[in-house]
Amino acid sequence: MIRLQEVTKTFKRGRDMEVVALDAVTLEVTKGEFVFVVGPSGSGKSTFMRLLTREQVADDGEVWVAGKNLKKLRGWKVPLLRREIGYVFQDFKLLPNKTVRENVSFALEVIGRGRKDIRARVPEVLELVGITDKADALPHELSGGQQQRVSIARAFVNNPRLLLCDEPTGNLDPATSVGIMKLLDRINRTGTTVVMATHDQQIVDSMRRRVVELEDGRIVRDQVRGVYGYGA
Amino acid sequence: MARWRYVLVEAFAGLRRNLMMSFAVVLSVTVSLTLLGASLLLSDQVELATDDWTGKVEVSIFLCDDRSCPAITTQQRQKLQEDLIAQPVVSEVFYESKREAYDRFTRLFADQPTLIEAIDVSTLPASFRVKLENPQLFGVIKDQFAAYPGVEEIVDQRDVLNQFLRFTTLVRNGALAVALVQLLAAGVLIANTIRVAAFARREQTAIMKLVGASNWYVRLPFVLEGIIAGALGAIISWGLLFYSVPRVTRDLAREVELLPFIGVEQVIGVAPTLALAGVGIAAVSSVLALRRFLQV
Repeated sequence: MIRLQEVTKTFKRGRDMEVVALDAVTLEVTKGEFVFVVGPSGSGKSTFMRLLTREQVADDGEVWVAGKNLKKLRGWKVPLLRREIGYVFQDFKLLPNKTVRENVSFALEVIGRGRKDIRARVPEVLELVGITDKADALPHELSGGQQQRVSIARAFVNNPRLLLCDEPTGNLDPATSVGIMKLLDRINRTGTTVVMATHDQQIVDSMRRRVVELEDGRIVRDQVRGVYGYGA
Repeated sequence: MARWRYVLVEAFAGLRRNLMMSFAVVLSVTVSLTLLGASLLLSDQVELATDDWTGKVEVSIFLCDDRSCPAITTQQRQKLQEDLIAQPVVSEVFYESKREAYDRFTRLFADQPTLIEAIDVSTLPASFRVKLENPQLFGVIKDQFAAYPGVEEIVDQRDVLNQFLRFTTLVRNGALAVALVQLLAAGVLIANTIRVAAFARREQTAIMKLVGASNWYVRLPFVLEGIIAGALGAIISWGLLFYSVPRVTRDLAREVELLPFIGVEQVIGVAPTLALAGVGIAAVSSVLALRRFLQV
């Protein structure tokens, strides 16, 4: 599903300072996996995620996502790539003037799906994330956990093969986070690959899934049933 | 269908959200296109007048009638006519008698009886009206025939026209220059409007991009927003010209009988150019603005 081969990405900071965000990273994630990407701020987690959606392009090395070589992917095909990827943010990024239902429908509308299709699919996914009773509420009327469920529904509504979650529990309390993780786990069990960048030690430890740890742009650990830190 | 509805709804929502700016854009496009249209119509006018005039008389050779010089004799007149016809630069020669000159005058100034009362058949001189192969060759005629007995004066009628043309061309160029500057300003204004719109909708745009909306789908509402404003400006400016120009030329035609004037037909003729300029400037500046402010 994801393959990185010797991927390097640097950023210019100021006139002649260069920051290496990813340094010759090689990594493979197979279909259906659930992977935590951990590491301190500035370790390269965000850059890693952005390379996968082709918000950024690697300076060196090759990035393959869903069978596509992103270096060779033409600009107009990038939207097609993104239709195979669901993206969940730490801060939800719901449109404040649209209801829950509209927020989720929006993701299908803008990729040109028919109205019948949308009317059939949206209730399904609202049901899946357990937010059916709030379908007509506006985002500000919901709790953080509920908002994150809506955001997951929006990411998943198009049945993506890959779900990228950038600190999805970062703004949530532990109890709510558990609920979100259960939901992501359920989505993973449908065969969707899930990659989740996180700082949340408790969650990583309790899930016992694959853990990839980044530090200064390098992979310093890749454990099949890992925990957050060493020696735990 | 649903796609187009979204694009249109968003475009109009953008215009409404930023009403003052939209108003400024429409106004600015209107002003620039009105000036552009006016300069185009002036060109039409010049062309029309020139065609008309060059199709008529180019040189008038006025003949003596005892008032300032001894009246031309029949022999002298025949000699003059033969020599004119023989002269290679001359393409046509008409003789206009005093009677014909008087008739033409009364026809021209039919609505100004005081002018007509002031003259009689004997007032206006008879003349040869000469068309040249090349209007520039007036000098040849003047040199050769000015000294002929019975010739009072040789007048290049284009001088009269040239004065009119010089003035009109000046006005047209002025209008064109201001129109272009104004059009540029309109373009910048449109670009700025798009920038504000892109900023106001940045969250929505970010989400659209991330869920895989195609590039044109993200961009089109913004471009359309500009184009609607541009088209609106074009329509209003054309309406202004359509209303005012035929009225102005109708009044002018009453004053200046010697010239044909443009009318509704020519105003309709400039409509496509105005529409193209309005929509074009809007499209170009929108696309340029989006390239800068909306990385897709």
